[in-house]
Amino acid sequence: MSVITLNPPSSRKYRFSGTQAYCFASAALSILIVGTILLTLLVQSGPILLTGNADIIGTKWNPSDGKFGILPMLFGSVFVMSIAVSIAFPVGLMAAVYIAETRSSKLRRVLKSTLEILAGIPSIVYGLIGVTYLNIWIADLFDLQSGRIILTAGILLGIMILPTFLTLTEDAISAVPVKYRENAKSLGLYRHEVFLSIILPKAKSGIAGAGLLALGRALGETMAVMLVIGSLDRLPSPLLNPLSSGQTITSKLGREVTESAFGSPHFSALVFMGLLLVLITIFLTIASRYLFRQKDQHV
Amino acid sequence: MIPSLRYSIFVALAATLAACSAPDAISVSGSSTVLPAVSKAADQYSAETGISVIVNAGGSGGGFNQLAEGQTDIGMMSRDITAGELGKFASLNFQEIAIGRDAVVPSISSEIYDAGVTALTLSQISDIYSGRVDNWSEFGGPDRAIFAIDKEASRGTRQIFMKVVMGDPKAEAAGADLVTGSNNEEQTALTQSDAAIGMLSYAWLNEEVRGLSIILEDGKRIEASLDTIRTGEFPFVRNLNVVTRDDTSQAAQAFIAYLLGPKGQKMVEDAGYIRVSN
Repeated sequence: MSVITLNPPSSRKYRFSGTQAYCFASAALSILIVGTILLTLLVQSGPILLTGNADIIGTKWNPSDGKFGILPMLFGSVFVMSIAVSIAFPVGLMAAVYIAETRSSKLRRVLKSTLEILAGIPSIVYGLIGVTYLNIWIADLFDLQSGRIILTAGILLGIMILPTFLTLTEDAISAVPVKYRENAKSLGLYRHEVFLSIILPKAKSGIAGAGLLALGRALGETMAVMLVIGSLDRLPSPLLNPLSSGQTITSKLGREVTESAFGSPHFSALVFMGLLLVLITIFLTIASRYLFRQKDQHV
Repeated sequence: MIPSLRYSIFVALAATLAACSAPDAISVSGSSTVLPAVSKAADQYSAETGISVIVNAGGSGGGFNQLAEGQTDIGMMSRDITAGELGKFASLNFQEIAIGRDAVVPSISSEIYDAGVTALTLSQISDIYSGRVDNWSEFGGPDRAIFAIDKEASRGTRQIFMKVVMGDPKAEAAGADLVTGSNNEEQTALTQSDAAIGMLSYAWLNEEVRGLSIILEDGKRIEASLDTIRTGEFPFVRNLNVVTRDDTSQAAQAFIAYLLGPKGQKMVEDAGYIRVSN
């Protein structure tokens, strides 16, 4: 009797293969979903890509004229993302260094949980705050007719990605093993020397990964941006003027996708912008994966 | 979502049953702009006469097609029937009856209005939106850049506005500095600015956002008021129509008469539109 209970190889093997099949199916399903999305985007982008005169690499967008220039939207996305990043990265990095280097576990706990709450606030809430306050402050500050401009969207987005970037950067710095820190200290290095020449190089790839994830979020954000950017399908003039209204790919899709007839060139052009966005996001994800993996190998 | 879906299924079922039981039920279908006024009137009409009126949304085009194909007694349209639509059903005759009016008014920030710009010609407005003029001083206002606010291309308000100003409802506005969506959003942007021009439904004008008068080619100045909208003198007026065929039933005609009567017109006003008769 005891032999049977202790050694049930057949049933165990059976259960394993069942689990295996289930896991395999789940994994296959998620790959299938990603594949389907990409394929759908590609197929639906077809009409606009195959139309010779759609002028897709142009600056004019007017569906009733058959003009589908996506440059203003693409530029808007990149511009807004750059502003957001140039606000969030320095602030986030400094704050992360402060939290990690003061080495107070209580401070770290309180700050980290606050940041996680911030990261979890739905973007529409940020958008409402942007429309109600930020947009008016900015208009007053620069003496503008309207605060619904690229700069407002960039600042709002910077605030939104700050928690994600900060908390991941802090993780990367804290993840550097104590032994490095102690060895460096025992060599008589000052605290800033320990950080700059030992900790930072070790945490570098983790920080870069955090940055790429934050970039991805900035690129994909729709609601908050849509409310404050002004929805103007035109390149700013002069080109790098953040005080003019603009449009990002996401805000364009948010505003127009319900109005375009399925299968029309208009719809196809919108889908093509969606495809571009997915491709950029995929690139960022792969790049951040690569950087995170490098970090694991070093430590 | 689910409760409201259930509710609407229930209403639809109830409506279907009512339609089956009452032989002279009237069905109305079409524009969702016209719908609020008609459905309010329909409720009251049913309560008063016991004749059921079923009102469905489906867009102006959908309403016309259903009427033409005999699937509904009355169509609702927030625009006129197009030549293309008439051509598709050339063998039939249609009547358009305006039950209310909705006006789009070129609106400016109160600061500019108070500084003396109270009326413009259509070509002056066109100059602003096409980017040819970019300073209020050109129109006798203060030396301040014009902040032109456009609306999303799909908005009915924009289509009326651009059709009158630029001659094409889908015209590009190269002079626009900002694009908004709803009347609410447009009104906020106009209020926040002190040198803006935009387009609003008549009901959305207030102390902060003033309606411009329009100077016609013969020099006549038309103010945006209930009177000029009612008479159709104001250029940016659209009719809210009900449409019928020649072979309309007596019951449907009676309901249209009710819409044009005092009670129906009150419902049109309650829905935020302008009555066509006193």
